[in-house]
Amino acid sequence: MKKTTQKTVLILVTLFTFFIGCKKDEDPVPQPQPPSNEEEVITTMRLTFVDSSDHSNVITASFRDPDGDGGLAYDLFDTIRLEQNKTWETSILLLNETVVPADTISNEVLDEGDDHLFCYTPSGTSAAVIITDMDSNGLPIGLQSKWYTGAAGNGTIQVELRHQPGVKDGTCIPGDTDISVVFEIEIQ
Amino acid sequence: MNKIITILLGLLSQFVCLAQSDTCTSVLKGRVIDEHDSTGLDFANIFLPGHAIGALADSLGFFEIRNICSGNYLVRISHLGCTTIEVPVKIEGLTQRNFYLEHHSELLKEIEIMAEQLKDQTTQNSNIISLEKIDQSKGMALGDVLKNVPGVSSLNTGNSISKPVIHGMHSNRILLLNNGTRHEGQQWGVEHAPEIDPFIANNITVIKGANSVKYGSDAIAGVVLIDAKPLRYSPGIEGEMDLVGMSNGRSGTASVNVDGSFNKLSALAWRIQGTLKKSGNISAPEYILKNTGLKEYNFSYTLGWKRKNYGAEIYYSQFNSTFGIFSASHFGNLTDLKKAFDSPVPLETADFTYNIERPYQHTEHELFKINSFINTGAKSKLSLTYARQYNLRYEYDKHAPLKDSLENLNKPELQYELTTHTADIVWEYNHVKKHTGQLGVSGISQSNTYAGRALIPNFQNYGGGIFIIDRVKLNKVEIEGGLRYDNKLIQIYKYQYVANSTYELIKPEHKFENFTGNLGFIFKRDTLLNISLNIGTAWREPSVSELYSDGLHHGAAALEFGNSELESERTRNILFTVKYHPHARLKIEATPYVHFIQNFIYRQPASAPMLTIHGAFPAFYFKQTNAELKGVDLYLNYKLLNKLEVIGTASLLRARDKTHNEWLVTMPSDKYGVEFHRQFNSSKKMNSAYVSASLLYVTKQKRVPDNSDFVAAPDEYYTVNLHSSYTFYIKTQKLEVGLSVFNLLNRSYRDYLDKFRYFTDSMGRNIALRIKIPFDFRSNPS
Repeated sequence: MKKTTQKTVLILVTLFTFFIGCKKDEDPVPQPQPPSNEEEVITTMRLTFVDSSDHSNVITASFRDPDGDGGLAYDLFDTIRLEQNKTWETSILLLNETVVPADTISNEVLDEGDDHLFCYTPSGTSAAVIITDMDSNGLPIGLQSKWYTGAAGNGTIQVELRHQPGVKDGTCIPGDTDISVVFEIEIQ
Repeated sequence: MNKIITILLGLLSQFVCLAQSDTCTSVLKGRVIDEHDSTGLDFANIFLPGHAIGALADSLGFFEIRNICSGNYLVRISHLGCTTIEVPVKIEGLTQRNFYLEHHSELLKEIEIMAEQLKDQTTQNSNIISLEKIDQSKGMALGDVLKNVPGVSSLNTGNSISKPVIHGMHSNRILLLNNGTRHEGQQWGVEHAPEIDPFIANNITVIKGANSVKYGSDAIAGVVLIDAKPLRYSPGIEGEMDLVGMSNGRSGTASVNVDGSFNKLSALAWRIQGTLKKSGNISAPEYILKNTGLKEYNFSYTLGWKRKNYGAEIYYSQFNSTFGIFSASHFGNLTDLKKAFDSPVPLETADFTYNIERPYQHTEHELFKINSFINTGAKSKLSLTYARQYNLRYEYDKHAPLKDSLENLNKPELQYELTTHTADIVWEYNHVKKHTGQLGVSGISQSNTYAGRALIPNFQNYGGGIFIIDRVKLNKVEIEGGLRYDNKLIQIYKYQYVANSTYELIKPEHKFENFTGNLGFIFKRDTLLNISLNIGTAWREPSVSELYSDGLHHGAAALEFGNSELESERTRNILFTVKYHPHARLKIEATPYVHFIQNFIYRQPASAPMLTIHGAFPAFYFKQTNAELKGVDLYLNYKLLNKLEVIGTASLLRARDKTHNEWLVTMPSDKYGVEFHRQFNSSKKMNSAYVSASLLYVTKQKRVPDNSDFVAAPDEYYTVNLHSSYTFYIKTQKLEVGLSVFNLLNRSYRDYLDKFRYFTDSMGRNIALRIKIPFDFRSNPS
C-alpha cells in the first residue's frame, strides 16, 4: 500500500466527517408549539338543507369532533330532522376548527373533485338523495345534492367521503374513506 | 449410558491390546477447554514431546490421538493466546482426558479487548449467531437474522419492518446494544424497526432473560448485542465487499467494509463501511404487494488509537431508510378494515415498481460514539464511553393533505425527533483472586419532539444508574451476581385540548427508581454436561407512549389512549440452561424458562368502537396485569455422518394473564425447525462449501384471549428454505458465493406476528445470490 493512497484515504475520511457533520433536532426545545400546526384535521361536517319550496326554511345538522381524532369525543352529533314530502337542496361544509379562524376543507374537496365522491346510503328512511354537482369528467362529487323526503319515519343515513385518486368511476367502491358519519334521520 | 459405553470401549481396547501386545494401539481422546468459559478451544495443539505424535483439535476442541504405545507420557497442550501446559498422563487403552487451558491475561488483553464483554456473560443464556447464519441473512432486516436463535421470533409489519421478539416480549422490553451503546429510537411502536445496518455486525449475540444489570434497567426479556469486528492494528489494508441480489422485490444490496492502519503508525487504525440497498414491490405467491419498496443507505466510520495500556475509538454511523407501507394495509375505519379482511385478495394490488408512494415512512439514525480505555494494572481496566444518538422518524399517511399549499410542502403527518446522550464509566477486573467483575455508572439524557399529529407528546427523560457485577470461580461452580440501582425522571410537555380551539400546556413529571438484580450459577462437572441457572429481576418504567398516547394510530386503525397512572413493570425470571455434549457428534441445549411479570402493560380493546369523523375505530387502553410467560427453547445438533449434520430447534411458549386467567395476546405460537447441513471436503480450488435444507413449521396460535383481535389467528404453516455457499479462488482472489432460496415451495401463508396478515399473504419464493469478496493488502514495513 502506497503512502500516498493512505494519505488520500485519511484526508477523504476527514473531509467526509466535516461534510456530514451531525444531524440535529432543529427544534430541541421540548416545549411543543400549540397544535396550530400544518397538520390537516377535519373536525366538522355540517349539512345544510334548504327547502326548495321555501328558501327561508333552512335546517342544519352537524357532526363535530373539536380536537380531531382521539382526545375528546365528539361534542356535536345532530339528528337530521326534515319535513315529509319535500325536496331539500343540500350542501356539505367541512371545517377544521382546531385553528382560528376555521379552515374550510370542503373547498379543497371541490378543487380535487376529480378524486372525491360523497356517497349517501339511507337505511330505513324514505329519504332519497340525488347528487347535483359534477367534476370535470362529468362524474358526481356530492357536495351539492337534492334530498327527497317521502313518508314520515325514522332511520339512518350514512354520509361517506371516498378518496378515489385515479380510480374514480362514479361508484362508491374504489378508493378509501376520508369521512364516514352515520346520522340518525327523522322525517316528520 | 455414556459411561458404560466408554467402559465397554475401554475394556474392548484392553482386549485388543492384550491380543496385539507388541503393537501400539492405545488412544488418547478428549477435549481442550477454555478454563474461563468452558467453551472448547478450537484447533488447540496436543503433542507428546519426544514421541513425535500429536493432533490438532477440531473447531470444538475435540481431539483424538491413535496408535500410542501404552505408558506414562507428558502431554503438551498449546493454543494461541493461552499458556502452554504439560500434563502427565498415563495412556493405556482408550484413555479419555480433558485439558483446561487458561488464557494468558496480557495476551488476552491484546487480542480480545472487544470480545471480553461477551465472555463475561458466562452464567447467562447467551446465543452467538454463527457467521454462516449472518451471511445467509445478508440483505434482509436485522430482525430476520435474530430469528435463527430458538426462543426468538420476529414481529413484522410486512417485509421491511421486523422487530425481534424474545420469549414473546418485544419493543421496550428488549435492549439492543449497537457496538456497546443502547440503541435509542422510537422503539415503542410495533411498526418501528431498529434502525441498525446489519452489515456492521460481525458478532450478534442474543442474551435471554432479565440481564439488565449491566446495560440498563429495561431489558426485561433480553439483550441483543450487535458488535463490529475489532479494528486492524497492523499495517496494511483489508476489507470485504458484499453483493446481494434477491429475486423477490428484485432487490440489490451492496456493502463495503475497508479496514486499515498506517505503516509507520499501526497504533492508529481506521474503518470505513457503507451499505446501499434498493428493493421494489415484493410478491406473495399469487399477487404483488403494492407499495412495498425500500431504499436504504447506511455508512459508518471508525478511527482507533491503541497502545498496550490505553486506547480510544471514535465511531460514527448513519442509517437512512425510506420504505413504502403496503397500500392495502392503510385503511380508513372499521368498515374498511372489515372489507379488507373479507377480501381473499388484497383490495389493492399493483405491478412491479421501485417507486415508493404514500403511505411511507422515512427514518434516520445517527450514532456518534467515543470510547476509551486505560489499563489500571495488569488485570483491570477502566473504560469511558460517551454517545450521542439522533433518531428521526417521518410517517406519511396514505392521503396527502387536501390543501395544495400543504400538499406541496410534502410534510409528514407524523414526525418525531429523538436526541439521546449517554455516558458510561466501567471499571473491569479480570481474574483477581478468582474474581472477575465490573463496577460502573451510567447516565442518560433524552429529548423527544414531534410535529404533525400528536400521538405521543414531547418529553425529556433523564436517568442515572450504578451497578456492580462479580463472578467468582470455585472448584466446579461459577457464581455470578449483579446489582443495579436506577433513578429516572420523565418530564412531559403536552398540549391538552380545553375548548373553543384552545389548548393548554400540561407538564406532568414521572419519577421512577428501582433495583435490578441477577444471580447466576454455572456447574461444569466436565465437558459433557454444563448446567447454568440464572435468576434475575428487572424493571421497566412505562414508556411515554404507554403513559400518554392519545389519538389515532394510523395504519394500525386504532385509537390509542395512554394511562398516566401506569406503574413500572417488574419481572422475576428463571432460566435454566442445560448443555449436554456427550461426544463430538451430539450436542443438546435446552432452556426451560419462566418470567413472572408484575404490572405487565398491554393494550386492551374497549368494548365499543369509538366514533370519529372518519367512522368507527376500535379504541385501545393501556392496562396492567400480572403475567406469566413460560416455555422452553431447544437446540439439538447431531452429526449423522462426518460431514452431515442434522439440527433441530424448537421454541415453545405459554403466556398467561394471571389476573384475568386468560391467554395474553400477540404471543408467538410454537415453532419447530429441522435443518440438514452437508459440508463438503475442501480441495485446492474450493473450500468451506456447504448445502443446507431446512424446514420451519409454525403452529396455529390457538392460545389467544377472546375478542382481542380483529380476525382469528392464521392457520399453521411450514416453509422450506435452502442455503448453500462455497469459496473459491480466481488466481489469488478469494470469492465466496452463496445461494439461498426462501420459501422454496412458494407457499401462501400468514404469520400470527405479522401485522399485514390481516390483508395479505407473506412473501413468496425468494432466491438470493450473495457474493463476498474479501481483500487484504498486507504491506511490508518500510
